[in-house]
Amino acid sequence: MAELATVCPFCGCGCGLYLHVIDDVVVGVSPSRAHPISQGRLCVKGWHAHEMVDNPQRLTHPLVRRGDELVEASWEEAVEVAANGLRKVADSAGAQAIGVLGSARCTNEANYVLVRFARGTLGTPSIDCSQRIHSVPEVALNAGNSRPGLDTGQIADLDESDLILLVGSDPTEEHPAVAARVYRARQRGARVISVSTRTHPLAALADVHLPVRPGGELKLLGSILHVLLVEQGMAGDADVSGLPELRASVADLPPEETQAATSVPAEAVREAALLYASSKRATVVYSTGLALSLHASAAAQSLENLAALGASGAGPKATVLGLLSRNNLQGCRDMGVAPDLLPGYTALGDDAAVEKLERAWRCELNRETGLASWQMMGKARAMYIMGDDITRTMPGAGVAREALASLDFLVVQDIFMSPAAAMADVVLPAAAFAEQDGTWTNLERRVQRIHRAVSPPGEAREDWRIVAGVSGAMGKPISYEDAQQIFEEIKDLLPVYAGVFYPPLAVNGGIRWPTAQPRDAGGAPAAREKIGVAAPPEDALKESAAGAETSDEYPLLMAADPTLRPWDGEVTVCHTLTAAGEFTVMDQDYPDGMLCLNPEDAKRFEVRGGRPARVVSATGEGQMQVRVTDEVPRGIALVPYNQAARSGPMEVSSQPVSGRPVLAPTPISVGPVQ
Amino acid sequence: MNNPYLPKLATIEKVKTETYDTTTFTLRLDDPEERKAFQHRPGQFVELSVFGAGEAPFCIASSGHGRDTFDLSVRKVGHVTGALHEMGEGGQVGIRGPLGNSFPFEEVAGKHILFVGGGIGLFPLRPQIQEVCREADRFAAITVLYGARTPEDLVYREELDRWQQQEGMTCLLTVDTASDGWTGNVGVVGTLLTKIEIDVSNAVAFVCGPPIMIRFVVQDLSNMGFGENAIVTTLERHMRCGIGKCNHCMIGDKWVCKDGPVFTYGQMREMTEFEE
Amino acid sequence: MTARMLPKNRIEEFVGRLLEQAEVVAPRRVEVGDVFYGAVASAEEVAWDYGHAVEPLKRFLLPQRETMLRYSTGDKVRVEAELDEQERVFLGIRCCDVTGIGVLDAMFGGDTPDPYYMSRRERSTVIALTCLQAPDETCFCVCCDAGPFLAKGYDQQWTSLPEGMLVEVGSERGEALVRSNDDLFDEASVDQVAARYRLAREAEQTFGDFKSYIAGAMSKLSMNEVDPKVWEQAALRCMECGGCTYLCPTCSCFTVTDRMEDSSGVRERHWDACLYSCYAREASGHNPRPEREDRLRARFFHKISYQWAQRNGRQACVGCGRCVVGCMAWAHMPAITEGIRRGVMT
Ligand SMILES: Cc1cc2nc3c(=O)[nH]c(=O)nc-3n(C[C@H](O)[C@H](O)[C@H](O)COP(=O)(O)OP(=O)(O)OC[C@H]3O[C@@H](n4cnc5c(N)ncnc54)[C@H](O)[C@@H]3O)c2cc1C
Ligand code: SF4
Ligand code: FES
Repeated sequence: MAELATVCPFCGCGCGLYLHVIDDVVVGVSPSRAHPISQGRLCVKGWHAHEMVDNPQRLTHPLVRRGDELVEASWEEAVEVAANGLRKVADSAGAQAIGVLGSARCTNEANYVLVRFARGTLGTPSIDCSQRIHSVPEVALNAGNSRPGLDTGQIADLDESDLILLVGSDPTEEHPAVAARVYRARQRGARVISVSTRTHPLAALADVHLPVRPGGELKLLGSILHVLLVEQGMAGDADVSGLPELRASVADLPPEETQAATSVPAEAVREAALLYASSKRATVVYSTGLALSLHASAAAQSLENLAALGASGAGPKATVLGLLSRNNLQGCRDMGVAPDLLPGYTALGDDAAVEKLERAWRCELNRETGLASWQMMGKARAMYIMGDDITRTMPGAGVAREALASLDFLVVQDIFMSPAAAMADVVLPAAAFAEQDGTWTNLERRVQRIHRAVSPPGEAREDWRIVAGVSGAMGKPISYEDAQQIFEEIKDLLPVYAGVFYPPLAVNGGIRWPTAQPRDAGGAPAAREKIGVAAPPEDALKESAAGAETSDEYPLLMAADPTLRPWDGEVTVCHTLTAAGEFTVMDQDYPDGMLCLNPEDAKRFEVRGGRPARVVSATGEGQMQVRVTDEVPRGIALVPYNQAARSGPMEVSSQPVSGRPVLAPTPISVGPVQ
Repeated sequence: MNNPYLPKLATIEKVKTETYDTTTFTLRLDDPEERKAFQHRPGQFVELSVFGAGEAPFCIASSGHGRDTFDLSVRKVGHVTGALHEMGEGGQVGIRGPLGNSFPFEEVAGKHILFVGGGIGLFPLRPQIQEVCREADRFAAITVLYGARTPEDLVYREELDRWQQQEGMTCLLTVDTASDGWTGNVGVVGTLLTKIEIDVSNAVAFVCGPPIMIRFVVQDLSNMGFGENAIVTTLERHMRCGIGKCNHCMIGDKWVCKDGPVFTYGQMREMTEFEE
Repeated sequence: MTARMLPKNRIEEFVGRLLEQAEVVAPRRVEVGDVFYGAVASAEEVAWDYGHAVEPLKRFLLPQRETMLRYSTGDKVRVEAELDEQERVFLGIRCCDVTGIGVLDAMFGGDTPDPYYMSRRERSTVIALTCLQAPDETCFCVCCDAGPFLAKGYDQQWTSLPEGMLVEVGSERGEALVRSNDDLFDEASVDQVAARYRLAREAEQTFGDFKSYIAGAMSKLSMNEVDPKVWEQAALRCMECGGCTYLCPTCSCFTVTDRMEDSSGVRERHWDACLYSCYAREASGHNPRPEREDRLRARFFHKISYQWAQRNGRQACVGCGRCVVGCMAWAHMPAITEGIRRGVMT
């Protein structure tokens, strides 16, 4: 039995684990104690990571559609069919009509090659990754004050903090390795403040918990800033750009004023603010609960403001840790899997940088801004999907399925027969994480090596090789020796990865970018250039004040909770052998959606736990199964985001600036099913 | 070493549809030696392998007297049961067992034997009813009370008819919800208890059914004056190994597969995990 | 006690001879610095100075995933069992882990022995290595009668002295190993034996704060007197990762699954954890332990109740401290027993 060090393929934490291999089969997993993230721990997903590798349901052969059926084909044939199909759509509808989706599950190298394939070979600017809809740094990016990804903290900051502020984050569900640090920090005396609608376990244990009404987050953070800046006079005359504007913007937001919009008692807000002010070193953690709200950018900016104040010497020193949900969501973005960027955050208009890429790739690149994943729905005529769970991530009932069904041509590259793969014209079997070399970049920009421990099943191949193969069949060969060679090119071409080297196995925990000195594992990110704060846009504050109004007709406010059961139904965890049950119960017990209600509301609306209830909103109606729990405040109904995204009564809205679709809090009425 | 995980091969002799979702499979072990060695008592169960699908526990639903075959009555609920329902006569399955303990028999001789079954809870009771009937003169009286959700859910229809006609035996049926043509009792099975005459000081009750039915019936019986140890039931739990190794069936300090599945109400109350 | 000395310069020779007859599983450092028990090719690979292995020996007796049966489903079904018949010497194993094997023996032996486990166990020789100081701040074997030195449960127990290994023999198997390598072992001197007892006493003093109040918790658990609040509070901590059970030397729950490849099937068993919500869930959807607090209570009852201690010969915690390291939150053995004692989780 050999232990091979690699990285967990699930959440953005990037825990170090060992795969146990006997005779080219992975038979188990152990945590790494020496690894800076896992420190000897794994969550339920990590402990079962091996089960999705040697799994009888893996895709093993290329498949090509014949009528209603997908039939086995040779690689040559499948690649040929894929190339011809894509070419045909490009000829008839133009290259822009092809949408390409990369994946936060796949390596940096695969995503990098995919960008080259999309913008160079196909000539389409529409490349994206639908998991990005759940991403955080973009929020920070949209907030406008920071260079991409550069000012997030790192997980180890939690070990040094005496105060942890959790905003819209339930790390016990989404980021277990972060939760582990919070529990340990608590144990050694650190204080915890929680801001989220649901009283999740860490909220229940928090020193102060502010159960905010969905949509009230921005106002609540504004009130916290009001207490700090106005009431406490924090930052007095500190030389921070934007400070007067910020102070003015929160002048009218004493907690008493916002109480109606946030449902949080003013005393609690004040208590939280004072507790924050009294700390020496704070870590501010936020996640999808904030990132998927309507005014996420402005709210994230409020948190950035706290860090900026700290950095200027006013208020506690603080770092902001925006948590990404997927193992390589950060890397996916770093590699330029986005319609408005090129690899390494190269701007489309930066001619010199684009030409550098063109020279390296020996092709011309499409320099336009393409369609985002949600814009592709219904607009793209053909799609090439590499490991993207679009049917699960795209908000709106049936939106993705309908869009895929209406395509002229669909190629899906994956390790399992995902719902998208089942609809494809060509299915290309890919190697799993334990079967390919490469790198992933975790939520703190830690570039880590993953390692080929066993051979792929059947004829499955590494992701980047598949993409390169299709490109070759379209007359634009992409040739690399191996993943390392691709990485060397990334490092040479992309300033953000400069100094990062292809980590050999012995470098446990990888290397964080940007790093001034190569070989300085875990090197600190470059310091912030200039300290500044920014006031939230006025209309954001106003709008969020309005919020979604309940009425006698629709007395409850239903909101999608992305921190609740975030992994249920995900294609890889559902294919573990022993843990699968943990990730499929939602569909068994709550097939139409788990409607979490406070006991008092359940009584008032005469619905019972485990039983279906009728849910009616202005947009539609449907049925969901009720779970009665005092984790949910009165007047609110929470539904796991993944289920809400498929639910008729849920309203889909879009974030300002980014245009990302979000599920808006929706007033509903609830009653028993007759 | 004897491998208790190795199934013995058996062939499906007969398939009989009981209800829309329940079928009785009559099985015969392939190997004559194994067939001879397969001695089972009412209350025991087997682990059945449907090759390619998996393994699941089922109680032996027939008395072993004078037969070298045995019945399993199976409701289709999932993966293994679904695959079994696809199989027909002549199909090969795997059998491990008999497993677990069994109902008291000699210990209850001379008493009024009361059976209370709900839904598919009649499966484990059937071999005991058959054996008690066979030696009816050794018991003071035999009463069978059986309830199902609807008339369509009643299993063992012909046998129920026979029991209803058998001398010295009372057999009452009820359904929760009547459908067209049903002229019998309507109500939960506990309501039948008021319709019988029984001397509780010399009686023992065998109760099987869904957890909630057991809870209510046990309450009724206690109220009637049945002692804790005069109420006998079988517990159902998620099982994997059936031999006290995997711990899936554990309840308090007992393995249901090995220390049970038959327990008296008194034993159940002693279990730390038991909720009343 | 009959004790022998294996002088320093003969250890290599001894291990070499073991390697001729068996797979030798010993602590060894893997590339990035963690220590695992694993097969070694020479004495040189053994990390004699190790603290604690990331995992106990369990994997070598009860693999995380193992094949139980293979079958073909053609015209006639054919079923075959597969047993691991490799001879193994477990060398340099920590006392807590050796004690853990004793608990597994009770669970997998008994009146229905588990052939897969027993096949490996009967072919294994266990050589314990005593701890001269607490290997880790999380160790609490002293509270569990499972170290840092053992009185029984091993085939041989080695204590590292400056001049070599003091070897205590605990079984016929251990004695046979001495006999067949007679030329390598010397008689131990009285001083050397005395040193062993002095070292044992000194070692016990080095154990830190992670006391586990097993005895007190055991009596409350066994009598069903634990304040339900403790379980509710523990449930706010437990994240159901399963790590405590997977890392525990004595947790042995497994599940069984069948998988098909063409017309041949494999029945496998995999580690499972009683803390998972679907562990006891029945096909009907009924779950006898629906809440996390129910599952926590059941787990700790199985680990350290008097009832199960009676069935297994001892309570099932050996104080290795791995659940303290591996717990995602703060619901490990010392935290829970402390909570039970105080009636509240801190
Ligand atoms: C002692 C005993 C006797 C039983 N006798 C009968 C019988 O005579 N007739 C009958 O129809 N059913 C009986 N059952 C229930 C039957 O075992 C389950 O319906 C069956 O396991 C479902 O398997 P599945 O693969 O079809 O369901 P799935 O849901 O696809 O699989 C669930 C898996 O979980 C386990 N499991 C789930 N629910 C149960 C459960 N209630 N009991 C045990 N294991 C479970 C099984 O191992 C099964 O493989 C009995 C159960 C026990 C414990
Ligand atoms: S916390 Fe995240 S990275 Fe760590 S084991 Fe769990 S899923 Fe994997
Ligand atoms: S079913 Fe495995 S212990 Fe009872």
